[in-house]
Amino acid sequence: MPEEEILEESVLNPVMPDVQDPLLRALLADEPAPVDTPQEQPQALPAEADEVDCVVIGLGAGGAPLLARLAMAGLKVVALEAGPWHDAKKDFATDEQAQDFLFWNDERLAAGQDPLAMGRNNSGTGVGGSTLHYTAYTPRPLPDDLHLKRDFGRGEDWPFGYEELEPYYEELEGFLGISGPTPYPWGPARRKGYPLAPLPLNGAAQLMVRGAAKLGIQTSPAANAALSARYYQEGVGWREACTNRGFCQAGCSNGAKASMDVTFIPLAVQHGADIRPNSFVTEIERDERGFVTGVVYTQNGEQQRQRCRHLFLCGGSVETPRLLLLNDLALTSGQVGRNLMAHPGVQVWGTFADEVRPNKGIPGGLISQDTHRPKDADFVGGYLLQSIGVMPVTFAGQVARGRKLWGQPLRDYMRQFNHVAGINILGDCLPHADNFMELAEEKDARGLPKPRLHFTAQENEQRMNAHAEKIMRGIWEAAGATDIWAFGRYAHVIGTARMGLSGDDAVVDANGRAFDVPNLYISDNSTFPSALSVNPALTIMALSLRTADKFLEQQQRRNG
Amino acid sequence: MSSPAYPSGTVRALLDTAHVSDATRAALQARLDAPATYAPQFLAPETFALLEAVAARLFPQPDRPTQPIPLAPAIDQRLADGRADGWRYDALPPDREAYRMGLGGIQEIAQAQFQTDFMNLEAAQQDAVLHMLAGSHPPGTAWQTLDAGRFFEELLAELAATYYAHPLAQEEIGYVGMADLPAWTKIGLNEKEDREPKPEERLSS
Repeated sequence: MPEEEILEESVLNPVMPDVQDPLLRALLADEPAPVDTPQEQPQALPAEADEVDCVVIGLGAGGAPLLARLAMAGLKVVALEAGPWHDAKKDFATDEQAQDFLFWNDERLAAGQDPLAMGRNNSGTGVGGSTLHYTAYTPRPLPDDLHLKRDFGRGEDWPFGYEELEPYYEELEGFLGISGPTPYPWGPARRKGYPLAPLPLNGAAQLMVRGAAKLGIQTSPAANAALSARYYQEGVGWREACTNRGFCQAGCSNGAKASMDVTFIPLAVQHGADIRPNSFVTEIERDERGFVTGVVYTQNGEQQRQRCRHLFLCGGSVETPRLLLLNDLALTSGQVGRNLMAHPGVQVWGTFADEVRPNKGIPGGLISQDTHRPKDADFVGGYLLQSIGVMPVTFAGQVARGRKLWGQPLRDYMRQFNHVAGINILGDCLPHADNFMELAEEKDARGLPKPRLHFTAQENEQRMNAHAEKIMRGIWEAAGATDIWAFGRYAHVIGTARMGLSGDDAVVDANGRAFDVPNLYISDNSTFPSALSVNPALTIMALSLRTADKFLEQQQRRNG
Repeated sequence: MSSPAYPSGTVRALLDTAHVSDATRAALQARLDAPATYAPQFLAPETFALLEAVAARLFPQPDRPTQPIPLAPAIDQRLADGRADGWRYDALPPDREAYRMGLGGIQEIAQAQFQTDFMNLEAAQQDAVLHMLAGSHPPGTAWQTLDAGRFFEELLAELAATYYAHPLAQEEIGYVGMADLPAWTKIGLNEKEDREPKPEERLSS
């Protein structure tokens, strides 16, 4: 980093991110760690020359943080990502349709009474995964989010408490450069504030402040993983501040948003990680003891094999269980593909006399967690409220699907685009036997069975939606909106390879290790035992770092 | 509230400026430069003509009598390429089959109601057919196996995405988000940069 740059008025990120795990800290402080970790099992077949310590499948929020952690510990790591490696600054257009390549566009089948929209709503591909198009909304869960069963007798508890994740949230907020309010108005007092001040409020956020204040609902600028000032990023250099493009969901073109491609992946590369884009894994190979020995993947039409001592599966809640099911792997609990949850995300839109121009600024500028455990709730859990900006094509699609307007009325309504603003919720969801993912008979373009996702909102989700819609309509009425309408939707697929205390009812243990396969780890939102009442990205990253630390700790013990 | 109308020409003018990145300009210019005529690649010519007629009622463009924003070609091209958008209602068959069946089903509704092809109907009669499609249980054998509501939703959503991706449709709604360089600095309520268009008059809604 050039000396003169430090003098500028920007926030300096610690060059070395804090490392929570004492053993990893010791490793990093010592001599460079040996590249070859001794083999875990002495009776294993002799290693082939090309065997690596770890293969990581998938480079989104689940794969990238642990990839960096493992590489920093001196392990030889290969990452296989199904999608390409983009040059965002050059290739990303401010155009929704042109950015369609960010989504997992192989067809998934949406079944049940409330079929889950996938594609742009719920998927991602490319080096960076879904973080390439996440909104960057990064609230922490509140501690009781992890204990629905303890508090309500419904759903599942996490196998550990919030205190296990808290140090990772602190580390991530510092490393990624999250912009947010200090102090944070909800939840327990925090040891560290956000490293950057909140991003400026756009029109929708200002309107929500206006409406919520009249109803006595507390609001705050939200935590977003986009920079409100320049920030030094280890492995990257200076990342520039957000320019308020409002196109987070179609890809950030200036590196202000903390997607994995501008944060953990360059860090991993700096420490020797081998990134292989366009690599679609089809097979997971095992020895006679059931240990993973390597993976077979297709890269640019060529079939390749990569042998490994440990495998980290980080493909997200659809591709992770699909790979397990296709390979008949880690299935003894009977839970792979089950417990599929999706966050209730009902939106309420209104038209204002004010000019909103909803495409500008960070889309989720404002938050309220006053509805985390509403006093008058007739449901389990709770939700957060969020102001939302929107891009025109996304909005038009929702108007078409949600309002069923067509012809001249649709064109007339859309001419009010600069005057519309929205609020939505993100709410918890309970697992249910009717909600699961399976492999369909129908094959996709690769010749593999298409995933079929069954989702029906149950009574708890329906009651939460009704409660939330009433509150959001109230806020918009108080803020002066007319023509208020609600668009029911669900976002994020969660829970299809859940973690737990026992292999009888969970796929992985609290550290992310598969009960059935000792050298297989899963790190993505498929392991969440419950959905949480906040957006999942930050917690996926926290679990990813924690899984890496637990793995390294175990290796250290074994080798020590 | 009534719908604002914005001056024409704003997006075209901005495309030539440094407010638009090269990648963004390339995407939008390609849509402006699309040829006026299109030979269908997937649908039979008469089926494609039917799709065009349906699209013309779902997105009537009396304000663009000679050069409407093309809508049907995007669907035909996608079906020809076998591209998907990542998901499909399990209730619907694969897209190619759904479009063939659904367009055939629209003819069936027209025949049942007016005893003639959709193409031969007056605009108001065509709208009546589409209202039946958007409602529930329209007449016709196609709709015994094809979920009419879901098909209509998918068709309308795809047309809406195509229409509002076009620079002239974006201009129509006063959107110039493509001109985002170097930054948006005025993002609050009732704030706009000089390059953002002002509504020029009010139409009744």
